[in-house]
Amino acid sequence: MNALFVICGLGIISLIAEIANFRKWLISIIVLGLLGAAALVVADWNTAVAYYHDMLVFDNFSLAFTGLIIGSSLLWFWTASDFFEALFHKTDKSALILFAIAGGVLMTSFNNMAMLFLGIEILSISLYVLAGSRKEDLGSNEAAFKYFLMGSFATGFLLFGITLVYGATGTFQINTIANYVLTHAGELPSFFYAGALLMLIGLAFKISAVPFHFWAPDVYEGSPTAVTGFMSTVVKIAAIASFFKIFATCFSTIAPVWYTILLVIMVLTLVIANITAVYQNSVKRMLAYSSVGHVGYILLAFLADHKESDGTIFFYLAAYAVSSLAAFGALILVGGKEENTLVERFNGLFKRNPIVAVGLTIALLSLAGIPPLPGFFGKYLVFAMAINNGMIPYVIVAIVTSLIGVYYYFRVIIAMYFKDAVAEPLKVSTSKEVLIVVLILITLALGIFPDFLIQLL
Amino acid sequence: MSSAWLLYCFEAIAALSALGILFVRNVFYGALLLICCLLAIAAVFVFNHAEFVAVTQILVYAGGVLVLIVFGIMLSARHGGKPLVVSHNYLISGVLLSLSILGILIYAISKTVWPSPTALTTQEINIEKVGVHIMSDYLLPFEIAGVLLLVALIGAIAMASSKSKSV
Repeated sequence: MNALFVICGLGIISLIAEIANFRKWLISIIVLGLLGAAALVVADWNTAVAYYHDMLVFDNFSLAFTGLIIGSSLLWFWTASDFFEALFHKTDKSALILFAIAGGVLMTSFNNMAMLFLGIEILSISLYVLAGSRKEDLGSNEAAFKYFLMGSFATGFLLFGITLVYGATGTFQINTIANYVLTHAGELPSFFYAGALLMLIGLAFKISAVPFHFWAPDVYEGSPTAVTGFMSTVVKIAAIASFFKIFATCFSTIAPVWYTILLVIMVLTLVIANITAVYQNSVKRMLAYSSVGHVGYILLAFLADHKESDGTIFFYLAAYAVSSLAAFGALILVGGKEENTLVERFNGLFKRNPIVAVGLTIALLSLAGIPPLPGFFGKYLVFAMAINNGMIPYVIVAIVTSLIGVYYYFRVIIAMYFKDAVAEPLKVSTSKEVLIVVLILITLALGIFPDFLIQLL
Repeated sequence: MSSAWLLYCFEAIAALSALGILFVRNVFYGALLLICCLLAIAAVFVFNHAEFVAVTQILVYAGGVLVLIVFGIMLSARHGGKPLVVSHNYLISGVLLSLSILGILIYAISKTVWPSPTALTTQEINIEKVGVHIMSDYLLPFEIAGVLLLVALIGAIAMASSKSKSV
């Protein structure tokens, strides 16, 4: 809870920075504040306190995901420092990002549907604006508008679902709903199931699972690369945490109703996202499809055992977030001012700048799931869990799609090492070089000591 | 008994004006019919002892959303000179879709066991209860809604401000 206060406070401080004229130190203040918030999360560990009439509960699940959100935001601020330097309205953007993080924290710690809704809306509205922050760029405008329309549409589904569930159970508290469903099994009105399915659709939009993913590639491609990096890490973590929380608590006992639907969504997500990614020439669009594809593996873990999969999902998301941030960070460096980076732009990157090339290689290998990187252990844990629960056919599908994934990630890697360089050496500031080394170290640490994160939950 | 007839009257007005929106070609008349429909629904809420919802309905929909729609029509009609007109392009698929939704709704409503209506024993004041809840149980959502509005405000300013003004 204190972490949430700190993050909201930082948002307000960054608004004041414009008036009180301390814009220069703003990013350092934010980074220090977020470090403080992370420390508060660690201090709250194992306490599980409910705040404000059970509106928010910071149990270990919420704290772990809050910590992951804050950690990825810190790394994101480092990778995206140019985003704040290059564009106008620096303080507005940092305020919107901070409130988006606060929305994400609400989405992991809600105990009441009202808080879930508010969290999703705070996160989404900030992102609609951030997606359109390159105003002179038509693609960015398109991304903002598409995201806004699709996001509002999804929110409509979610809200209607919440209303129907409330109508059937008479409460917004997720634990009370779970108890009600348990005690009234068999006599629930049919609109309760309709509400649960509408919420499934609304949240599937937010985690961008196929067939509700069609906004994701365009939005990811049109938004500034830094914002895309934020969307595919921090936002995805928050959305998946809220999806998990709703379906593992409220609707856990009516699993037969949504199980088959989610199974179809999972298979479609794995197959369609990974196959479409092969045909993409823009690296940003390829990463967008790959981020949709990774949702499929998380859903596979969730379907295998929706009660016990939180540790696996947490580790998978952590591994994915670090690799994804590294990939988007490299994309910002290589792309420069240009927003649409084709694979050809990575030709001979190893000769142009070996550090960036090695960092990007490790990130892509981890996303592809090559041992001993954390992406491999994430996939391994998911597959092991699925096999233990007798989902062997689906594991085979997932393995085949991850092999397809290897193909499109390696296209970039091959371009970096075996194609001739087309441009001069790429100059990168020292802070970015340090960042790449830090990201490589975190990736390797996650790969060598995966137990540390898995045993948290 | 008379209040029941009034209730049916308002329900009929809401249904007829909603139906009218389908057949009116001019978007502006459609917006006016929408106001009519929403006000009639507000009246239905009043008859069902949901005064707070009725007030919110009038404030948010009739007061806010419809003003926005009318402004939208006003600003977008400026270019053509002619009134905005809707066209029905997907008649068959639209009819099929709405009929299937109607079928689903009728099926669901007929299947659902509704709780038997009980007469209100005391005249409770709903709005007072809502206020007490907002200031006690739902204090945090109430405050966080403030953050949501702040975010929307910053976003609107960031989007609307001119790009040439460097900071």
